[in-house]
Amino acid sequence: MVRTHTNVHTPVEHAALHVDDVSKTYGDAPALNPVTISIAKGERVALIGHNGSGKTTLIRIASGLLDTTTGGVKINGHEAGSLPARASLSFIADQPTFYDDLTLWEHLEYVARLHGIEEWEQPAADLLGHLGLYDRADDMPNRFSRGLKQKAAIALGFIRPFDVLLVDEPFVGLDASGKEALLELLASASEDGATVVVATHELSFVHTVERIIALRDGRLVYDGDTAGINVDGLVRTEDPAGEHDGERH
Amino acid sequence: MTSPTIGVQALRAMRNDRRRHRVADLEWFDSLYKVYITAFVGGTAILFLSGLAGDEPLTASQLSNLSAHTPHVIGLLAAIVVFLGLRSGANGGPIAVEEPEVRHVLLAPIDHGAVLRHPAIQRLRTFAFSGAMAGGIANQLLGRRVPDASANLVVFAFWGAIAGALLGMLFIIAALIVHGLGIARWLTTALATVLAGWQVAVTFGNTNIAGPFDTIGSISLWWLRNSYIDIVGVAAILILAAVAVLLAGRLSLEALSRRSSLVSQMKFAVTLQDIRTVVLLRRQLSQEHMRVKPWVKVPRALRRDVVVGRGFRSMAHFPLRRVIRMQLLTIAAAGALVAAWNGTTPAIVVAGILLFVVGLDAVEPLSQEVDQPNRTDALPFERGLLMTKHLFVPALFVVPFIFAGVVVAYIAEPHANTISYAFLLGIPALLGGVAGAAINAVKGAPDPAGGANQGLSLPPEVAGMTTMVRAIIPPAISVIACAPVMALRHGFESGTDMLGNTLRAIGGVVILLVLVAGWVRQRDAIHVWFRSAQNASKQSSTVKGN
Repeated sequence: MVRTHTNVHTPVEHAALHVDDVSKTYGDAPALNPVTISIAKGERVALIGHNGSGKTTLIRIASGLLDTTTGGVKINGHEAGSLPARASLSFIADQPTFYDDLTLWEHLEYVARLHGIEEWEQPAADLLGHLGLYDRADDMPNRFSRGLKQKAAIALGFIRPFDVLLVDEPFVGLDASGKEALLELLASASEDGATVVVATHELSFVHTVERIIALRDGRLVYDGDTAGINVDGLVRTEDPAGEHDGERH
Repeated sequence: MTSPTIGVQALRAMRNDRRRHRVADLEWFDSLYKVYITAFVGGTAILFLSGLAGDEPLTASQLSNLSAHTPHVIGLLAAIVVFLGLRSGANGGPIAVEEPEVRHVLLAPIDHGAVLRHPAIQRLRTFAFSGAMAGGIANQLLGRRVPDASANLVVFAFWGAIAGALLGMLFIIAALIVHGLGIARWLTTALATVLAGWQVAVTFGNTNIAGPFDTIGSISLWWLRNSYIDIVGVAAILILAAVAVLLAGRLSLEALSRRSSLVSQMKFAVTLQDIRTVVLLRRQLSQEHMRVKPWVKVPRALRRDVVVGRGFRSMAHFPLRRVIRMQLLTIAAAGALVAAWNGTTPAIVVAGILLFVVGLDAVEPLSQEVDQPNRTDALPFERGLLMTKHLFVPALFVVPFIFAGVVVAYIAEPHANTISYAFLLGIPALLGGVAGAAINAVKGAPDPAGGANQGLSLPPEVAGMTTMVRAIIPPAISVIACAPVMALRHGFESGTDMLGNTLRAIGGVVILLVLVAGWVRQRDAIHVWFRSAQNASKQSSTVKGN
């Protein structure tokens, strides 16, 4: 049974992200069982769950990178993957990828201009400064360490305009200053009215959200606010509804 | 902010910049070396094909046969190409773009058509060019054998190139259309089977009905006769090409994302002749997953030996499409062996390679074990014993595939003896496929001597040759296991003891199979012995030097 809080059922027309009965299977292996979620504009949400719980699948479906087996996702009322949905959604993946032949600065220019931003240089410099990457702007991000790659991916995710930000495990590999910088960027995005959905176990972020969505074995097991629940315990056990009976399935 | 043209200029500018970077970074010497190697290999291949085609003029009846059957036969080739293209499209082909292109460009608000049309046209161009080269060469070789032809060799090559280019394009067209329209895999396979079946029927049946792809074969004959209806076929292919390019914007991001990294890994694996990696990546590309639920529960009696039981369990998880593919390959191999019996000797190479591919699927439990050397190294018994035990289940598993092969042989050669000889030849041939695949798998296991060849300081040419020989041996074993059909043919042609000849040849194959099993069992010991002999030899030469 899914526990929900009272504000969860955002009307579809007002939802920044509406996941409608979405499921995904690979061959005969289910990755995500039918899930329905509505996230309102400006909401800040933490998506938590065990490894293999379906977090990345759900985020990738919402970003338009994966096709659904059933159901559909709408971003600001537009089908996920469609041109208007792509215009309003920024996705930062858990595995950053970069071109082999472009520097970080060239990546930023490319991504910004792909999104129609011609005045990109100052925001790019600010972002790199904030993330501590300014001195590495002329290096190839493909040769960066894991943590620096993550920072570069974050910079690329924030250089473009967005209404909805989907981020998959962004804190992995980041040092303390990187985590702090990212938390500030996420807070700033929220203040600007963006909807922010982050798949993470990072307590410092989970404590700042209004809503937590927990998945287990491809099922929605919790969707509710953080009031009255033990957030630390929730993140650690990811079994808020007490459904985990310890039996092998 | 959501106009499809936003960012297109940035995309074009960046593509131009990147092209300039690539040209600037090009190692000209390296490129020229590649051109030299390509020319050398291509020239050798043409010389080899010229030798096969021969120079003796065709007789009037052969020429008449050529005129009557070429459209069907080339059409059959086109049907196979379309079959493969349709399957490729259903599996997410034929385009592979870089992963960053998917993440940064295709997730940006840019018309996907503007991004993907370019690689689609590139693919069409490459396949058309390769097909044109092959078709031009083939028709030019044919032209040498046509007596008193009114056309010169350039005309032969021209029409061959046109037919070849159309044939190459068909692969990409079929794949793009199926992928772009998102047609389900089962429907694609059904459509592909109907088209191929139709073409097979008109090729081998005594009928006046035209096949769906006769046009392409007919175009290749325009040096002889002009059939203007072919222009309609060519126009249809060109229109479909345009449609396919337009549909490029509708390709699935999931498929593109999946293929982006896999295709480059696969190309790298091919350059390393790493067949196992190619097999694994190809399965990922076509999303061929093991069944979660086994077909049958392996009975306890078959699990008494843990390794054998693990083998049976692996087979129980094989997906249906893999089993069907193995069966189809076995049927094709049976057809090739029939062709070898009928006088086309090189067909045993085709049969051997097909059965080697069957073997690659069959030895999956063994390959899985080799893929995880840390686990095998930690076992409290010899790795050779583990691997030898892993040969048992694949050898048993492939045998039932022979029945369909026997049926094919009987349809082609409906004699009473066909069935018994088909079983007699088919079983060692199938086991040879498993043996070749087993060698291929086991040679990927870690070397217990830490590299038996270390310290030999082989020059690059010799090292390259060694690598080549190591790559050739596994399929060669499978080909040798098909050779008894030649003994049978020799017995028939010379009027000597057919059964005796065949059994003697099969005896040779059995010895070979036993040797392969022995090598799998003793490989580690052989490597250790070789290394210690090498060290002893080094020490003795050092002592002499002192």
